[in-house]
Amino acid sequence: MRSVHGARWTPWLYLAPALVLLGGLLVYPIYQLGLISFLEYTQAQVSGGEPTTFQGLANYQHLFSDSQFWQVLLATVLFAAACVVSTLLVGCALAVLLTRVRAVPRLALMLAALGAWATPAITGSTVWMFLFDPDFGPVNKTLGLGDFSWTYGRYSAFALVLLEVVWCSFPFVMVTVYAGIRAIPGEVLEAASLDGASQWRTWRSVMAPMLRPILVVVTIQSIIWDFKVFTQIYVMTNGGGIAGQNLVLNVYAYQKAFAGSEYSLGSAIGVVMLVILLAVTLVYLRLMRREGREL
Amino acid sequence: MNHPRTFAARTAVPLAALVLAATACAPGTSDNSGSADDEKSGTLRVWLFQEVNNAPKKQVVDETVTAFEKAHDGAKVKVEYIPVETRAEKIKAAFNDPKSAPDVIEYGNTDTAGYVKDGGLADVTKEFAAWDEAAQTDPTAKQSVTVDGKVYGAPYFVGVRALYYRTDVFEQLGVDVPKTQAELVATARKIHKVRPELYGLAVGGAYTYGAMPFIWANGGELADEKGDGYVSAIDSPAARKGIKAYTSLFGDTNCPAAKCAAMGGNDTVTAFAAGKAAMAIGGDFSHQAMEDGKVKGKYAVVPLPGVKAGEIAPAFAGGNNIGVLRSTSHRTLAVDLMKQLAGKDTQRELFAGMGFLPTYTDVRDEVAKKEPFVAPFVKTLGAGAKFVPASPAWAKIDASLVLPTMFQEIVSGRKDVKAASGDAARKMDDAFGAAG
Amino acid sequence: MTLPGIRAARGLRVRRPWRLAAEASALLIALVVAFPLYWMVLSAFKPAGEIESTEPRPWTLAPSLDSFRRVFQQQEFGRYFLNSLIVAGTVVVVSALVAFLAATAVTRFRFRFRTTLLIMFLVAQMVPVEALTIPLFFLMRDFGQLNTLGSLILPHLAFSLPFAVWMLRGFVKAVPEALEEAAYIDGASRARFLWQILFPLVFPGLVATSVFSFISTWNDFLFAKSFIISDTSQSTLPMALLVFFKPDENDWGGIMAASTVMTLPVLVFFVLVQRRLVSGLGGAVKD
Repeated sequence: MRSVHGARWTPWLYLAPALVLLGGLLVYPIYQLGLISFLEYTQAQVSGGEPTTFQGLANYQHLFSDSQFWQVLLATVLFAAACVVSTLLVGCALAVLLTRVRAVPRLALMLAALGAWATPAITGSTVWMFLFDPDFGPVNKTLGLGDFSWTYGRYSAFALVLLEVVWCSFPFVMVTVYAGIRAIPGEVLEAASLDGASQWRTWRSVMAPMLRPILVVVTIQSIIWDFKVFTQIYVMTNGGGIAGQNLVLNVYAYQKAFAGSEYSLGSAIGVVMLVILLAVTLVYLRLMRREGREL
Repeated sequence: MNHPRTFAARTAVPLAALVLAATACAPGTSDNSGSADDEKSGTLRVWLFQEVNNAPKKQVVDETVTAFEKAHDGAKVKVEYIPVETRAEKIKAAFNDPKSAPDVIEYGNTDTAGYVKDGGLADVTKEFAAWDEAAQTDPTAKQSVTVDGKVYGAPYFVGVRALYYRTDVFEQLGVDVPKTQAELVATARKIHKVRPELYGLAVGGAYTYGAMPFIWANGGELADEKGDGYVSAIDSPAARKGIKAYTSLFGDTNCPAAKCAAMGGNDTVTAFAAGKAAMAIGGDFSHQAMEDGKVKGKYAVVPLPGVKAGEIAPAFAGGNNIGVLRSTSHRTLAVDLMKQLAGKDTQRELFAGMGFLPTYTDVRDEVAKKEPFVAPFVKTLGAGAKFVPASPAWAKIDASLVLPTMFQEIVSGRKDVKAASGDAARKMDDAFGAAG
Repeated sequence: MTLPGIRAARGLRVRRPWRLAAEASALLIALVVAFPLYWMVLSAFKPAGEIESTEPRPWTLAPSLDSFRRVFQQQEFGRYFLNSLIVAGTVVVVSALVAFLAATAVTRFRFRFRTTLLIMFLVAQMVPVEALTIPLFFLMRDFGQLNTLGSLILPHLAFSLPFAVWMLRGFVKAVPEALEEAAYIDGASRARFLWQILFPLVFPGLVATSVFSFISTWNDFLFAKSFIISDTSQSTLPMALLVFFKPDENDWGGIMAASTVMTLPVLVFFVLVQRRLVSGLGGAVKD
């Protein structure tokens, strides 16, 4: 059947615009990012005052010997993991809930979720800060927390950011999983319920396996997004929290590169992030292959 | 087949050209040499800082600009007010892309050395020397536009901080205005104990300029000059004494760490203006914010006391300058505009509108007579204000939050004074070393 | 499944008290999720003195339009809005077309490097945008694009493409191959099949993916403030919001009003495509 298509060049023709755009605006900058991470590249080099010099792995050595980097790396991984798990749990639970209710509550929940999704990250973060403000926020007033400052403690600050991240990213999971559940043939679910399976069992042994491809997609996307969290941390903890306690890699790189003008260090951190996400991709690809599915 | 091909072709060709053009191997650098052009007409772009209450500043600037445009035929001036926090990125971006850069900028005097090293500011030594008004420029202010003997701009105003206190609270509790640093701490605690809803003295973990007088008053220094560079002195015993005094103000006895650790200078001023603090270290430039706030008519200002009675803690000599960018293609016009913007007349009006202290000694004396509120600030300046190390590394130390991190580590109990100041000293020395 | 009979049958299976409990909790959760948005709009309407009050009330008795006035009276606000529409619109349309072609290539053809390319599209999504600001800045400068809308459109195109291609694959795959063969037997050219048969069938998927490119472009601050250095006539909406973040004290009313103005178009867009979004996402991840 493929032979009907004849021309070997047709797919490449279709791909050409995408490849040109990505090559010029993504691959080339990534190449530059890698290059900068091996150079001495500060504001003096950028503005042409001093020539760039090749540093080999010196930037990476500097980075890896900095204990703060390892702390930030650990915090990033744990924080991203917590965000991914919470987002998936909330998203899946609400997707199932959506299939159990009639039109009006469903529409209400759907609209609220879409609203959260539509809010710009900077706005969402600002509003959440305002809600949890020790002096003016309604949350502390309602919970009777007095003037408890959420951003002072390391864990409470991370928890606050986590709540905001889950708030703005669960809708994607919820809507996608809900769409997936609706695509499951009704008879399958009916059969399960006739067998007297509980809600949890139906989810575990009938729905989850059928939704697996969807779950994999939302998990991968959540990992990619949550690992790169920037705006929420930057806005809510004021650039990384008290004495940098809430830094995550992306914000750390930004602070190094822009505040400290150490573009090479910032780039090296960017490369490290990319490598970690690549490792996640490899795991994903292996999983796919083991299941005998192709891309 | 036809359709996709032409579509692809249409998109691909210009974009492919785009990619080919970018095959240069090295990452971008700028050719930031001075512009050869010196056009006598056209549009001049100006960046000034957006102030807390910008309207009066805008009015003064608008008048100056109108006069300038009248005097220079064919010249137009476009002023943009940029936020102070993100100035570093914006001004760096302007240095990197001369095409979209402004001609004249306002910049903080702590940034002078860094901007000069970046090659962004034009050397105006000759014009400055030939400018008659500049003769009365106060030496500290002139110092803040000078790097290696060359002048890179005109001082715009000086800013200096002193102690604001609530007269009504002091009277009601029967406490006296503190005369020494120890008394200051004791008074702050006493007030907070009786009136727990007030901070005794509002302090901030990120309020570096509020903390510096404590270090200087105890005989400490931020850094010592050594050869043609600097080495950090922030972990010297004297400096540590000052750090200890400042950080002792955080906690439940005065300014709870949970709130105050994250505060910066503006937050402490806002707290005082909103009536939430009995004392605060504020600048002459904060005067308007207090007048607009709840504390109007209920406060007074004195110089921040030193270690011994009668001494004044050395204040940080802050302030802003007006400079011309090296990349300007209207150099003569831009320098003229700089002189207008930072001239005596403008500074007189800026004082009236904004309370900015003039940089000319004669103008300053003149306004001090008219407005008694500036007296404590002029007195503080007279007692000898101090400046941050004139090294390009300072901008980086400042931007990478070395000192706020140190204070916050101590205040939140993560490290003791010795460990935190040791770490800060190491980071400062790294930066000084890299700056050469 | 959209048949009312089946839905009713499904509904019956859930026992009544349970369903009521489920509906009550759905409504409750909807309230919690919507609360931050409500607070945003409420704060935008509160008069100046009420926003920062130590007695925060979830209502206001004296709604005021002052904050909105401050937003709309900014110089060139209309221009910002228009620029944002141009940038987001261009990115949505162009990326949808380019991604459609690319997705067709990787799903309906078999060729060397196909898998490699697919992996590339996945990997491309992982690049931290913030880290690329510096190289992109110089790239844009070298093409003379800084200070123009092009410097916003081009990078956003590049950043939204990989995800769009990745999502569209499922849709293109779902169109039966028999349909394609039948079209060719009927003598249709490849172009005709592509644009007149495949494109309409994949359209719901295009809508779903457009949501993503629209949101990420519309909401972007980083490029907006890094690449539009000094020309305010080329600025986008986020800049109209950023002016309210002030050195001394943020103008909360202005921030909330500007945020409301910014969020509203996206929300309207969302509600319009809601149905297609649900069916679209369902199709996108099916394979």
